Amino acid sequence: MQIYVCVKHVPDSAANITIVEKNHIDENLTFLLNPYDEHAVTEAVRIKDSLPDAEIIVVCLGKDDAQKTLRSALAMGADRGVLIESNKNHDSIETAQALKTVIEQDGNPGLIFTGRESIDAEGMQTMFRIGALLDFPVATNVVKLDIEAGRAVVDSALSGGIANTYEMSLPCVIGAGRGLNTPRYPTFPDVVKSKKKSIKKIVFSDLKIESLAAGMNIVELEPLLQEREPKEIKGDAGEVAKKIVRILKEEAKVI
Amino acid sequence: MNKKYDAIIIGAGVIGCPIAYELSKMGYKTLNVDKLADAGEGSTAGSCAIVRAHYSTADGVAMAYEGFKYWLDWKKYLDNVEDEKGLARYMNTGSILIKSQGHDWKKVQKNYDEVGVQYEEWDNDKIIEMVPPADLHEFWPVMRPEDPKFFDEPTKELEGAIFCPEGGYVNDPALSAHNIMRAAEAKGAEFIFNAEVVDVRSENGKTAGITLKDGTQIDAGIVVNVGGPHSFMVNKMAEGVWEGCNIKTKALRHEVMYCPSPEGYDYLNDGYHMSDGDIGCYVRPEVGNTFLIGSEDPDCDPQEWVDPDDFYAGKGGHGKDNVLTDEQWKAQCYRLGQRIPTLQVPNQPKGVVDLYDCSDDWIPVYDKSDLPGFYMAIGTSGNQYKNAPVVGRMMAELIDACEKGLDHDKEPLQYKFQYTDRSTDVGFFSRKREINYNSSFSVNG
Repeated sequence: MQIYVCVKHVPDSAANITIVEKNHIDENLTFLLNPYDEHAVTEAVRIKDSLPDAEIIVVCLGKDDAQKTLRSALAMGADRGVLIESNKNHDSIETAQALKTVIEQDGNPGLIFTGRESIDAEGMQTMFRIGALLDFPVATNVVKLDIEAGRAVVDSALSGGIANTYEMSLPCVIGAGRGLNTPRYPTFPDVVKSKKKSIKKIVFSDLKIESLAAGMNIVELEPLLQEREPKEIKGDAGEVAKKIVRILKEEAKVI
Repeated sequence: MNKKYDAIIIGAGVIGCPIAYELSKMGYKTLNVDKLADAGEGSTAGSCAIVRAHYSTADGVAMAYEGFKYWLDWKKYLDNVEDEKGLARYMNTGSILIKSQGHDWKKVQKNYDEVGVQYEEWDNDKIIEMVPPADLHEFWPVMRPEDPKFFDEPTKELEGAIFCPEGGYVNDPALSAHNIMRAAEAKGAEFIFNAEVVDVRSENGKTAGITLKDGTQIDAGIVVNVGGPHSFMVNKMAEGVWEGCNIKTKALRHEVMYCPSPEGYDYLNDGYHMSDGDIGCYVRPEVGNTFLIGSEDPDCDPQEWVDPDDFYAGKGGHGKDNVLTDEQWKAQCYRLGQRIPTLQVPNQPKGVVDLYDCSDDWIPVYDKSDLPGFYMAIGTSGNQYKNAPVVGRMMAELIDACEKGLDHDKEPLQYKFQYTDRSTDVGFFSRKREINYNSSFSVNG
């Protein structure tokens, strides 16, 4: 089985983001593998552990610098990479077309992974567009995945801790959520091994993707400023712990 | 009328607070002024707070060994003061110095013998027994991952290590400064925060006081520069002080990484502080069972000298601001990954970026100045945290002696250590010295 993992080269969430010319960011900062895509790569490697003949191919649309992100995915266990090189920022329509075209040219997908979303655009559209273009079923925010008897059984998480279970025919598109697994990060020997893995470069314009009437451009970016109101939690350690648990449950609603 | 103190200390970090503490114990009425909101919130907070004795000079070893005694009995040093935030804790892990071409370990061993530091020599089998996940191949010379040779298979083995049972780290460096502030306050010291010094005033060739950004003037015949990464700016505010220093200081950007310990290895509880010149890293345990990975400044790494105000404001861009870089993250984590091959390295950098107040030879300046009444404890170069209580006492004695007429430039003060039976020539730290080529010119001092 060929497993394709679509990954994105995104700014580090800890970076100081500066907006330039209203609709761009200053890209002189650290870019890395989109965190949701780490779950996608890890899951692909987990599946390959039980299907030794499987091949994991990571595909990325981005600038030349995005090779670093492909290298990260290769160090995490993917077998080879494809960079669709472009200096432009593409919307999810063009991105999905490019990914679909390259995947079809490259091989026969048994499974396609993406992250649930990218942490820069947070569009959550690319996986559905790939599915629509290939006529594959799609599940997003997948937190559990089993491949059994030629089908994928997935738990797709909704808000409020609820998950729906779906059975999907293969091939299908899986949008990996955070709960799917704990990312398996590379060791130094993994990095050394990955140096020998290949990255094929394809120029975006060579794909001859027809431009559609519909498209999306970024007109303006604005920083989202969140007001913070620090409060001091007083009391002895036991009281403080109780108050923190109450805040996490009732105010933050994360536990 | 301006408020008046005997001594104003610019900075309330881990060096500024003990100077106030010791001067107050001697009867001086002191005021610490800091531009941040609380004690220890500046570069002290970003310190790795490692307590180890290996230095490239015997004086450096002696001072660190003396400092160790203070950390061992922290409550006693603080005179049992209460701190509502709790007390910082010294964690005695023991300290491994890998014998490598990256350290002049023979010189360190000679210094240990001279000072009387307890140590053991470990062969590679003993290292593996104590640090099971270690790979003891030699990786020297230190390289960057951008260099293809970085990934070459190593062939030679290391030659063991020197282990000091007395060594470790302090779990919360900012809190330790806060503790000393509370101890100083108990002796009468005062502190003001969110107050930026913009001028050091002098009258008739003598120190007269400081002026704050809001125009407030505070008078004192003694002003001590403990401004950390801002030390060079403070020296420039005082008449003739910058010009009178042969050794200058600058702010050097530095990154420290947090990388999770390999599965099955309880580094937090079973691990040691380790200084490994073969891979240009030092490590110590950190909460969450992570490796804290510092750099020993190998020649192949870039040095970023920055404006401290721009840096702390997040300005300057990639590699110059206060955000970790992917390149350095990989450099430090992969170097440790050579030594600990089961270490998993996440894609997103995690850690601390802060500044060293770095001197020309990475040895501090603890001295008077050419302006009577103006003193400095600067140029700590990332390696003086452990010495802070000793420096506090030594600076207080230096200030007291100079105010009573000692010509320290001509007849340097001999400081008698409180715990170890040894004195040190404070002239070693003189601003007038020539660059000390015995130094490691790194964080190792």
